[in-house]
Amino acid sequence: MTDAIARETIHIDDIDPEFVDALIAAGADRIRACLQCGTCSSVCPSGRRTAFRTRELIRKALLGLKGEVLSSPDLWLCTTCFTCLERCPREIKTTDAIILMRNMAVREGFMLPQHRKTSMKLIATGHAVPINDANMTKREELGLDRVPPTVHSHPDALEQVQEIMRRTGFTALIEGQGEED
Amino acid sequence: MPENRIGVFLCHCGSNIAGVVDIQRVMEAIRALPDVILVEDYKYMCSKPGQQLLKDAIKKHNLTKIVIGSCSPRMHENTFRQALREAGHNPYLLEIANLREHDSWIHSDDPEAATEKAVDLVRMAVARARLLEPLEEPEVDIKKTSLVIGGGIAGISAALDLANAGFKVYLVEKEATIGGKMARHDKTFPTLDCASCILTPKMAEVGAHPNITLLTLADIEAVEGYVGNFKVTVRQKPRYVDTEKCTSCGDCAEVCPVDVPSEFDANLAYRRAIYIPFAQAVPSAYVLDMDNCLGVDAVRCGKCKTACEAGAIDYDDHERVLTLEVGTIIVATGFEVFDATQKPEYGYGEYPNVVNIMEIERMLSSAGPTGGHVVRPSDLKEPKRIVYIQCVGSRDERTNRYCSRICCMTSIKQARMLREKTGADIWLFYIDLRTFGKGYEEFYEATAEAGVTFVRGRVGEILQDDETKDLIVRGEDTLLGRPVVLEDIDLVVLATGMVPTASTSHVAHLLNLSLSPDGFLMEAHPKLRPVDSFNDGIFVAGTAQGPKDIPDTVAQAKAAAAGAMALMGKGRIKVEPYYSVVDEDKCAGCRVCISVCPYNAIFVNERGASEVNPALCKGCGTCTATCPSGAIRSQHYTDGQIAAMIHEYLSAQQ
Repeated sequence: MTDAIARETIHIDDIDPEFVDALIAAGADRIRACLQCGTCSSVCPSGRRTAFRTRELIRKALLGLKGEVLSSPDLWLCTTCFTCLERCPREIKTTDAIILMRNMAVREGFMLPQHRKTSMKLIATGHAVPINDANMTKREELGLDRVPPTVHSHPDALEQVQEIMRRTGFTALIEGQGEED
Repeated sequence: MPENRIGVFLCHCGSNIAGVVDIQRVMEAIRALPDVILVEDYKYMCSKPGQQLLKDAIKKHNLTKIVIGSCSPRMHENTFRQALREAGHNPYLLEIANLREHDSWIHSDDPEAATEKAVDLVRMAVARARLLEPLEEPEVDIKKTSLVIGGGIAGISAALDLANAGFKVYLVEKEATIGGKMARHDKTFPTLDCASCILTPKMAEVGAHPNITLLTLADIEAVEGYVGNFKVTVRQKPRYVDTEKCTSCGDCAEVCPVDVPSEFDANLAYRRAIYIPFAQAVPSAYVLDMDNCLGVDAVRCGKCKTACEAGAIDYDDHERVLTLEVGTIIVATGFEVFDATQKPEYGYGEYPNVVNIMEIERMLSSAGPTGGHVVRPSDLKEPKRIVYIQCVGSRDERTNRYCSRICCMTSIKQARMLREKTGADIWLFYIDLRTFGKGYEEFYEATAEAGVTFVRGRVGEILQDDETKDLIVRGEDTLLGRPVVLEDIDLVVLATGMVPTASTSHVAHLLNLSLSPDGFLMEAHPKLRPVDSFNDGIFVAGTAQGPKDIPDTVAQAKAAAAGAMALMGKGRIKVEPYYSVVDEDKCAGCRVCISVCPYNAIFVNERGASEVNPALCKGCGTCTATCPSGAIRSQHYTDGQIAAMIHEYLSAQQ
């Protein structure tokens, strides 16, 4: 297990005082009431297996360590099971806060390669997980059409789906970052 | 009507008011108002020179009415009224415009609007001042007898202080004995002296005191009257045992065939249907729990009566209703322990080896159900690994938002005793440790040195091995940032906090007392009137007012007793003349006012007209607003005065 105590000194430049305000404005209300009691970490099924520490993430966010939080791969280890949110004695929407931080991270250009690949697949095929032979066989066994009634069977609709992704900015988000790599 | 000569005095309150409100502009706006003879300002009107300025101006300018723009009248109205008295003026010819709480403090972001509002407030005050009338303060006698509700350490301390000062005291307790929750504790922190060793002498003193009438198994049913003259109805349940004859020999309990879980022992042991709560109970007598008794005749049972040589058992004992006349009341109704089943993730009530701190107290007591040995309830074995969890139900949005204050020290004390007695490994999970009292921090330090491990983090959940009933505790060591999973734990102790009792809300309802949002009794002022209630002559003490430890409880109880003594010692009190007055020529005798009065202050006199008892009336104005004939006026808040303020506000400024 890694030592979770940060060795680097925190300097004023690392702190973005507006980060918490942005989180609260986006919907993570009550986050400032956090007691740092650790209930969230102690019930986290992901944290028992990974380096993910809910409390620590919230603490860093509260301190305004925006860069560290948004660039951290740990941010993506939450399974959004909502146990922390249900147990939090201060009724902080921890899970919502994590989802909001992920949205911010993507907007700031931080995204795991796996997520980007999946997104690229979605743009290209209209499916995050396109159908394969095994699934087609399984569908036949279940008495379903071999190909589902999605863009797979309506290739003309793919263009419309791609248009939706373009207009919502999804394509730019994913491909824009592709260029940065 | 005599000529009005109004003086207006504007207080800067340092920069509290003047930092926001443009005092000069307010003065200019007020100066031209009719009847205003003088407009002055001063840095602190409440100061000695400020009051002198007021007194001198009254004499020099022959002022008839005074308007002061300052802080809330709740703060300094009395100060200024006294200044008026000293200037030979009737104190009720004063009107205060609240320029601080109602204006500068809440509009500090908009000085322009705050200044306009200040002008409006002072204009309205001047309009009302024109119609103010001199009022006389009625005096009432105060009975030199006190009622103390609740016989825990708070009620005991207050009752003894009052009784020793020579006042008669009725001490009303709902249980069969006094002693309260303190009697259930083993040791007290931070000195580790035994709770009953220091409590039972006080209990015995209450039992023997000639000035104290002790009423156990008793509840307050109704309260009428006012400061100095309360009439209290008390309903006392039958005990079925004559406390004078009973020798506490215990022969009755020996033959009683019924076992009932013992409330005193946190339901960890059984008592009989006829029982004494604990050996040093006061009154020292058995009590028959008729709800659980098999039957009082020889066919069904009746064994206890046969066994009682003293002939103390009386199956025909009956309920009594008593009427007490008292001058002051002290409410000390205590607390209950938080019900931990409300936190299902900790398994209390489901896992036998998860207990609360009160259960451990009983186990630690040598007079308790386990003779002083702390055991696992599942197999009665001595626990080797113990986990304490702090803040159970406290500091929690879902249950109690407040900190219960005593649980940190209670847990530390128990952990220290368990560590020293058994050498068990103890982990104490906390969010913040609050060891605020005298000698408490030193006690915490010594407990850490004794080998209790403190873990900074709150436990998220507990699991149980259904076979062994051992427990798995999941928490986080937040200082290391690592999850902690402790397996094979023998015993988990939940540091359950204090919650208000049902009796507190019941008594609060009867006495018209306010409760704070947490459900505890509200004091009249959190700093300056911490044991007064909003009702004159009624005081609050102990954990009924909020969670606190024994030293604070006793301090508050003694303060409440002193407050009651201050009233009763004087024997008379002036009450504010804010009562309603009935114009008998207009009163049709319809009695609508009687039906709406929340204080039962109105009666029909021998002339068939309504009449208000000034001592009972709180001046709420409900009758005034309800009277179909317009026969009632609220003194100092007359319709004319209020209408003048509204009219002034709505009319254009010059």
